[in-house]
Amino acid sequence: MSASPSTAAPSEADEAGAPPTRGNRGAAKRRSSAIRGGERFAGYTFMLPWIIGTAVFTIGPMVWSLYLSFTDYHLIRGGDWIGLDNYTAMFDDPMFARAVRVTLMYVVFAVPIKLAASLAVAMLLVQRRRGIGFYRAAFYMPSLIAMSVGIAIVWKALFANGGPQDQFMSWFGWEGGGFIGNPSVSILMLVLLSVWTFGAPMVIFMAGLLQVPGELYEAAEVDGAGKWHRFVKITLPMLSPVIFFNVLMETVGAFQLFGPAYIIGGEAGAPAWSTLFYTVRIYSLAFIDLRMGYASAWAWVLVLAVGVVTLIMFRAAKSLVYYAGEDNR
Amino acid sequence: MIRHPYRAKRRTLLTGAAGAATLGAAAACGDDGPAGTADDPIEISFEWWGDDVRAGLYTEAIELFQQKNEGITVQTNFADFPAYWEGLTSRMASRDLPDVFQMDYSRLRQFGSNGLLLPLEGVVDTSDYREGFLETAQLDGELIAVPISGNTLSLIYRSDWFEEHGIPTPEPGQSWDDYKATIAELTPALGEGKWGGGDWCGQYHFMELWLRQQGGSFYTEDGTALNFEPAQLAEWWQLADDLHADGLVPPVETTIEWTTGGIPQDLLGSEIGWDNFMANYSPSVAEFGGTLALAAPPTLDPSNLGLYLKPGMQLVISATSEYTEEGAKLVDFLQSDPEAIAILGTNRGIPATNTGMENVEVDEYAQAVLDYEASVEQYLTTPPPAPPAATGAIEVKFAELYQQVQYAEMTPDEAAELFFTEAETLFAAEQ
Repeated sequence: MSASPSTAAPSEADEAGAPPTRGNRGAAKRRSSAIRGGERFAGYTFMLPWIIGTAVFTIGPMVWSLYLSFTDYHLIRGGDWIGLDNYTAMFDDPMFARAVRVTLMYVVFAVPIKLAASLAVAMLLVQRRRGIGFYRAAFYMPSLIAMSVGIAIVWKALFANGGPQDQFMSWFGWEGGGFIGNPSVSILMLVLLSVWTFGAPMVIFMAGLLQVPGELYEAAEVDGAGKWHRFVKITLPMLSPVIFFNVLMETVGAFQLFGPAYIIGGEAGAPAWSTLFYTVRIYSLAFIDLRMGYASAWAWVLVLAVGVVTLIMFRAAKSLVYYAGEDNR
Repeated sequence: MIRHPYRAKRRTLLTGAAGAATLGAAAACGDDGPAGTADDPIEISFEWWGDDVRAGLYTEAIELFQQKNEGITVQTNFADFPAYWEGLTSRMASRDLPDVFQMDYSRLRQFGSNGLLLPLEGVVDTSDYREGFLETAQLDGELIAVPISGNTLSLIYRSDWFEEHGIPTPEPGQSWDDYKATIAELTPALGEGKWGGGDWCGQYHFMELWLRQQGGSFYTEDGTALNFEPAQLAEWWQLADDLHADGLVPPVETTIEWTTGGIPQDLLGSEIGWDNFMANYSPSVAEFGGTLALAAPPTLDPSNLGLYLKPGMQLVISATSEYTEEGAKLVDFLQSDPEAIAILGTNRGIPATNTGMENVEVDEYAQAVLDYEASVEQYLTTPPPAPPAATGAIEVKFAELYQQVQYAEMTPDEAAELFFTEAETLFAAEQ
């Protein structure tokens, strides 16, 4: 980041032009604290598009929706301040418990399976083999197209009555038909879709795996450790910050799942509300029932819930995650 | 991380709309507005829902309109039905509506009761409409829309299958039990994987028909409450129970997978539905070598079929439009210019104006609809007042709660109770 000539005096430009070198941290610190007004102005100017974007499209609407959650705002009629009524009404709303149940069930199934699958594939894909680039691209591919309507159609065909899943499972005595029409298992369609699109955590796992020092494995091998021991005693601990990051991101993402659920189950969470995710319910409260105030309250409860879950995870991470080099300090 | 594709679209739409509004405002401040000449034309916007075919027809008609009315240009836009209403509903909140747009009867009150629609009496030409058509274009006695076409409920059936299996042509006045008997006869005759008829209980319009046959109605006259009892709803939701028990109608596990109707898939022998669907279904059915016909829907009372003429689509002018005169010109042109009618044809149903009727080219499917409507004309009664603004949401609730019943997740009584609770919340949210 260098200052533009028009806003910074030449002497400052010279100073900024010297990049901080590694091992020269103290000097860099001093320099950054000495940034003068002009340079700061330039910095903010460059950030302006992002700041405006965030303020107008993220923070503004969020504050507005927080306000709306305390009103009975209706998309056409408008609304008045009703205090906490929306929040108390949620506890009497039978749909609330349902939506929470569906969402939690999804989080509990989808996140661990997806992460286990992406770690397994990542471990295969860090090997040096001929054509590995192709496989990496191929495994990443699904996450690029998962949100498309085309995939929704493919998914519906896969899980239809008499479709591949039904046929395959009936060899093992399954009599429940296709997942699409069966409320007790329909959520599995979405879990599988999520597992299939493990590209993002897979890439992060691969990056993490490549960071694990090879000499640790060599030393363990010399000591006679088997594959399983090397995985449990070296790979997992060394990878734990990456695992933590992925668990966090995937959990937060799973709580907010909307697109695939809406495309496959529709606004009413067909069949029989079994795919009525929390966010889908928010959507239909807001855009079908037009009850923006109530929908905003739902949305804020989700924000709070995800916040609490994240906090718990960070607490838990303190004892579970191993940061290399930390113990040297 | 995962984004809903439509959300992005809506934002684009909104941004676009906001941008257009700003530009419009800026232009309005800059000078005295367009003069309405060829060099400085007045621009009006026109939007509708529909597919590419309809868009092609409208575009052609609008080009003709612009030729005939120098000084007016028409900016057009269209989307499919759900996206169209999603967009308009959001824009309604900011009072940023197109000058002229296509309206659905179910949304008339939502828009009309908020003063968003221009009263059309004396603004557009109302002298040429067919009898009974303008009744449903009014809200509390004020004309705020003009109908493009009309339709009414019917029983759409496979006349070839009926004939082949010796089932007599359904006559007006046949009872619900007669219809069930027909299904019971046809389904086994058709063999595995096909059914004589479909479950009709998930559609609130059909329950409205059933209530009208008892002299009742779905909504109260002022449109602020439901006009029946939970017990009646529970009864309605059990009407097809015996058919399901005997496997005579397709089960919900099957129909939930259908992305299109059972009739155009060659799987259903009959279905209660709007008569204009006949024209949409017929080409697909013809590909399977079948033929369709229309009959009156079953009734509780042979002298009262509960039928009424519902506007298929309507045209409205926004109350915030700056150029109402030009908007009205466009409306009149689309509704009764012989050349425009010839271009638009029966894509949107049989025209509601006399000039339209005289100039439209009627194919055999449209003719069948016309013949059916003539045959039940004596049974058409006063239409219900425009449904309440919440009707879109109520329709969705009705269908999703019936699905709970179908999957036996709820008893009909439980589902009916919940429907009433939800409907009350929706009505209350509007007051």
